Amino acid sequence: MAASKSNALNWFLHRITGTFLIFMLITHFWVQHYDHQVASVTHEVVTEKGQMPEYPEAAKEGVKARFGPDAEVTPYQVVMQRLADPVYAVLWKGFNILFLIVALHHGFYGLNNVMTDYIRNPMGRLVARSLSWTVALGLFIIGLYSVITAGW
Amino acid sequence: MAVDTQDRPTATASESSTTARQESRFQRYRVRTGMFAWLMHRLTGVGLVVYLIIHIWGLTSLTDPETFNALIAKYHSPIFKVGEFALLVAVAYHAMNGLRIVLIDFLGWSPKQKRLFVTLGAVTAIIILVGGWPSIYSLGEWIFGPGSMPSLFL
Ligand code: HEM
Ligand code: HEM
Repeated sequence: MAASKSNALNWFLHRITGTFLIFMLITHFWVQHYDHQVASVTHEVVTEKGQMPEYPEAAKEGVKARFGPDAEVTPYQVVMQRLADPVYAVLWKGFNILFLIVALHHGFYGLNNVMTDYIRNPMGRLVARSLSWTVALGLFIIGLYSVITAGW
Repeated sequence: MAVDTQDRPTATASESSTTARQESRFQRYRVRTGMFAWLMHRLTGVGLVVYLIIHIWGLTSLTDPETFNALIAKYHSPIFKVGEFALLVAVAYHAMNGLRIVLIDFLGWSPKQKRLFVTLGAVTAIIILVGGWPSIYSLGEWIFGPGSMPSLFL
């Protein structure tokens, strides 16, 4: 098994990633739900199939200013104000990648702690650990790919 | 628990030393402030991992405008608005209880922990109310009709 030294390091890292996540989740939440120009989710319920949410004026203006007066104001375009921007996209993509890494490390390390508490058998623990980190790695690659290629 | 599980005390170990050791280890945030806080931390943590997996999987649609629009439109359905609120409750609780654990572990704040507990509880309630208002507002508008909810700070 991993040396106890690396356990102590991971224990420490878990607290650090948790603290970082507070700030990252606040930013994420603000950007997705509150900001009138770039929030992907609006204060509206949509029930009809194929119907799109209606975005606030600030979002409409922002999308038209960036993608031309004929641009449709769909969720995709609203999010692309950030992710397809020639300058800020680098920052946002960077933020998302960092967020992705920190959230995955914190979440899967935590998940492993929980599993270690319930799985008694060493072989079972090894299997659970390998499986879960494989899933995390897969999610990291998928997430990296979507966020980097988005809008580019 | 991030701390490794403790072995069962051996039968030969003296009673008092075992209790003392266990107390210094668990007292901080496990037993005193209740198993409940810890259990909820664990449940919300695992719930958030599940959400994160679904979320990253769903975001593969970022590469295709049509699929992404369909995904975000789905996020606006009534059931998702309820889910959004539940997600916020889970995040707020986990974050503030996590912060409490970090403060206790790093700053040795255990003596003040009752006050810390109450303060962070109040902060959590504020986060849930302010952050959850968009979801509550949109559900209210949908159920009771447009203009029926005060938009407040939105
Ligand atoms: C928002 C900021 C967050 C903070 C401050 C935070 C803090 C913490 C801390 C300090 C622990 C260790 C608990 C212990 O050792 O007893 C923990 C456990 C955990 N966290 Fe977080 N966390 C945050 C967000 C998240 C997120 C977003 C996820 C999911 C992706 C997550 C998943 C977990 C899991 C699964 C555990 C293990 C639970 C256990 O061992 O019982 N956390 N968190
Ligand atoms: C209902 C609430 C949420 C909505 C509507 C939402 C929406 C989004 C959207 C649209 C993106 C695409 C990137 C961007 O716009 O910059 C994104 C990325 C991301 N979100 Fe969320 N999110 C929510 C909650 C969460 C929560 C609770 C977590 C943490 C557990 C999270 C973790 C992430 C991560 C790690 C990324 C980056 C993914 C990547 O790099 O591929 N999100 N989110």
